[in-house]
Amino acid sequence: MKILLIEDDVETGEYLGRGLTEEGHVIDRAVTGRDGLFLAGSEPYDLLIVDRMLPGSDGLAIVKAVRGAGIETPVLFLTTRSSIEDRVAGLEAGGDDYLVKPFAFAELVARINALGRRPRNASLEKVIRVADLELDLAGRSVRRAGKRIELQPREYRLLEYLVRHAGQVVTRTMLLEHVWDFHFDPQTSVVEVHISRLRSKIDRGFGSELIQTVRGVGYCFRAAD
Amino acid sequence: MPLTRLLRTSSFRLTLLYAALFGVSVLVLFAVIYVTTAGYMARQLDRGIDSEITALQEAAQPGGTPRLASLIEERQAETSQSGTVYLLQDSEGRKLAGDLRFRRATIGWFDLRGRSRASEGGDPHRIRVRGVKLTDGGYLLVGQDASQLDEVREIIVRSFLWSAAATVVLALAGGMLMSAGILRRVGSVARASQAITAGDLSQRIPGRGAGDEFDQLADALNTMVARIETLMLGLKQVSNDVAHDLRTPLSRLRQRLEATLRGAPSVEEYRALVGRSIGDMDEILQTFTAMLRIAEIEAASRQAAFAELNLSELLATVLEVYEPLAEEKSQVLTSRVKPRLMVRGDRELLTQLMANLVQNALRHTPAQSRITVEARQGEGAAEVAIADDGPGIPAAERDKVFQRFYRLEASRSTPGSGLGLSLVGAIAQLHGIMIELSDNAPGLRVLLRFPRAVAAAG
Repeated sequence: MKILLIEDDVETGEYLGRGLTEEGHVIDRAVTGRDGLFLAGSEPYDLLIVDRMLPGSDGLAIVKAVRGAGIETPVLFLTTRSSIEDRVAGLEAGGDDYLVKPFAFAELVARINALGRRPRNASLEKVIRVADLELDLAGRSVRRAGKRIELQPREYRLLEYLVRHAGQVVTRTMLLEHVWDFHFDPQTSVVEVHISRLRSKIDRGFGSELIQTVRGVGYCFRAAD
Repeated sequence: MPLTRLLRTSSFRLTLLYAALFGVSVLVLFAVIYVTTAGYMARQLDRGIDSEITALQEAAQPGGTPRLASLIEERQAETSQSGTVYLLQDSEGRKLAGDLRFRRATIGWFDLRGRSRASEGGDPHRIRVRGVKLTDGGYLLVGQDASQLDEVREIIVRSFLWSAAATVVLALAGGMLMSAGILRRVGSVARASQAITAGDLSQRIPGRGAGDEFDQLADALNTMVARIETLMLGLKQVSNDVAHDLRTPLSRLRQRLEATLRGAPSVEEYRALVGRSIGDMDEILQTFTAMLRIAEIEAASRQAAFAELNLSELLATVLEVYEPLAEEKSQVLTSRVKPRLMVRGDRELLTQLMANLVQNALRHTPAQSRITVEARQGEGAAEVAIADDGPGIPAAERDKVFQRFYRLEASRSTPGSGLGLSLVGAIAQLHGIMIELSDNAPGLRVLLRFPRAVAAAG
């Protein structure tokens, strides 16, 4: 993925740039908002990572300008501001996701992947198949190896999120935010318990596991190698 | 109080302005009185002279000038004290009769200075005279002493000057008195404000209790100071909390890193250490985030984001999240939530509030406990009750649980930062929700009463 990183702190910028390059991404870095805006307008990127606090200009203004120029590239905000208002303002300005510093690098990688590989016509799909699992979005029903699996609504929603991001790592926070709209850390094993419930229905008795645990990061829905 | 300060006050300037306005209106009033009174008297005077001339001429009709002369002599003899003066001259300018000394007679109205018989021996004063030409070429002049009219004029002008002087003196004195009073009250506000600025936030601006505009100002300022004091106390609390609850784990982390560095650890040991340190760091950050969140809520800047929302749906989501957790611990989480309960608030914060309370109930009760969440329309407003049959909270400690970092002795061993309930308290306060903790016999019952603002929707 080709990513433009607009971050004024040199150390953070270098660290993130190196890490993301190791992950197989191509990184362009800008230190000021003006340079960032120029780059974003002159080259096609798959993703913009924008620090909210930049010297001279607010990250919000840059994203507004980018959106104003008709550039629809997904934007991920990095910020030290954790208040609800700041997050809402960031998303309203045209940001697609919002990550509060400090964060685990794996969290950033997972969110980048989720943003970058967003299927363009996801809403048009009616059935998603991963390995031998079949998710019928219209009928909200699940089959594995041809066998129908009964799920509670909360289990279905969790599965749908995992399946829609099949092959990508999703973190605990991503699940909390997108499946239950929890924008805070409940500091309990809520996610783990829900995943283990879902596993007992989806994976148990089918030989191979589809819900993989990625240690220290989160989960990944994919056929076991 | 220095005089210059007194004179610089806006109230003094205002008084001067009013005094000037008042002075102008007094001037106008006096001018009207002067013109009408003096004008009337002057006209009366002239009319008297006119009628005397007419009377004399009519009376002398048959006798001509000699008759006129004798008539004038008669009148002068009759009225020794009269203010009327006469002069009769023939066409050559020779005086035939009268007491007016005047060399050459003139026709028409004019004033001259002299004495009438009424004011014999006194200062000469103004005499109003009219001269007419007689048919035989002679002249008749009749004058009237105008001293009364002039006196009245003088009285009017003098009384005007006196009252003008009194107005100015009174205005100045009143203005100074009023300014002194206002300066005194402004001074007390300023002194109190200076003390507050200097850091004494417990100081309040004194009022007189009269409910006047200064008391209103003092009330408004006091409300502001009280708010600032609350915010400052909150800030102080946060910094104390930071010192208390972040220093300890931070120093523990530092010690561990240092100890490892001193030994000769293997790569494996390093890995384990870094992993554990990151875990510790995350915990510290969680505490930090929770404290910031509480401060953010207490600053009450979030009410702008309030919207009407469906509390029943919100509770359903929270319960859905925690049900599997309860099952895992063999606890029973049941709910009786009436549909379509509408409240006004911040969705995110209310979700966190409910989640924290449910989580608290799950965390502090043993296996097989029953936790019940009820929501219904109370007296005009929504009510949510979260009850458990666990160990409960002793009555004496119920007030303290909303304080930051407060943890019951019995709960020290269970995980948690000790910030969960103070976050609940802060969110509830922002929303005007009353929280009641009571004995569920056994266990704890937390009752949330929403403010009576939005009625239930259809």
